[in-house]
Amino acid sequence: MSWLPFAAATTKVHLTSQTRIVAAVIAVFFMLMILELIRRDRLQERYSVIWFVAGLGMLAGAAFPGLLELVADLMGVRNTNVALFSIVLLLLLGLALNFSVIMSRQAAQITRLAQERALEKAREQAAERSGNGTSGKQALEPEEKRL
Amino acid sequence: MRTLVFIPAWNEEASLAAVVADVRTHLAGADILVVDDGSTDATTARARECGVLVATLPFNQGLGAALQTGYLHALREGYDCCAHLDADGQHPAAEVARLLAEVEADHADLVIGSRYRDPEAAAESDDYRPTFSRRIGTSVFRFFLTLATRQRFTDTTSGMRAANRRVMSLFSENYSPDFAEIESLQLAVREGLRVEEVPVRMLERAGGSSFLTPLRSAFFIFKGVVVLLVGQFRPRQHAEVKR
Repeated sequence: MSWLPFAAATTKVHLTSQTRIVAAVIAVFFMLMILELIRRDRLQERYSVIWFVAGLGMLAGAAFPGLLELVADLMGVRNTNVALFSIVLLLLLGLALNFSVIMSRQAAQITRLAQERALEKAREQAAERSGNGTSGKQALEPEEKRL
Repeated sequence: MRTLVFIPAWNEEASLAAVVADVRTHLAGADILVVDDGSTDATTARARECGVLVATLPFNQGLGAALQTGYLHALREGYDCCAHLDADGQHPAAEVARLLAEVEADHADLVIGSRYRDPEAAAESDDYRPTFSRRIGTSVFRFFLTLATRQRFTDTTSGMRAANRRVMSLFSENYSPDFAEIESLQLAVREGLRVEEVPVRMLERAGGSSFLTPLRSAFFIFKGVVVLLVGQFRPRQHAEVKR
């Protein structure tokens, strides 16, 4: 990687075999855990894809350290461990943001659900009040008639 | 012209009955809907005792969600115009009637009741005295909202408004849950709707207490400014062409 001007000049720190083995074991356990969560209906498939990809990435990093070193060089980082940490941090940041987006969507859905329920109850109340529906249908005209 | 007056209420059992009675007196032709925003007191029971329709949200979700419930109801049930006022007794129904008249005459799509618009009237009557933190918040929001909309607004957080069907269809789909008052004005102006302020008389609150402590006020103001900034970059929905 000597064609990269900044990173190549000084001594590089690589992952040790021990680190790689530990990482591979953790990655395998991680993916097994995700499979188990899906199997027991604790995690929906659509939210599991991203975690599975993360697990595979971890495994790939452990199996082919050259990949990580390439990335470290591209980032201009001498220490492969630092590159690894940065990548993982960025990934987690992205995931957290992703969850905020999902949460916002669900909050909006919950709000609408509550509103629908409240209005439904109000309509029930109006129907009760007007008895058989012949008098006092103040708020009960169907929308189609008006629009 | 079918008119709906809705009253968002959160723990307002003390003042609600008087507000409903006031609306009945001054807006005899209008239907009334109380939106109980997950109150923990007897707000819903009081409203039912008054014989008005009540939409009770199952849990507290903030003023924005409560107001949106009202707009949604007005839209779906085919009302020609709607108005809302606070449940704490600050807003005289006679003033709401004036706002509604503006909408009915088609002078504007959305009419805001402003307690600051008419400085002479404000000085004359001692009815409404804002607190210090509210005064700061008011001027900050006034400045930023005027900047964002290029239209002069004096009472940006006023909860006394009247609207037509254009506004109903816009607000029932796009309404900020935490920043109801200010963002909705920005939204309406951005969407090309005619927004107008009418000077009104407001009273001291009859019951309940304001949620604004100084620290909360500061946070409220900060959040409001951020929301306004972000709102400037939202995609437009072209509500002015929908009716």
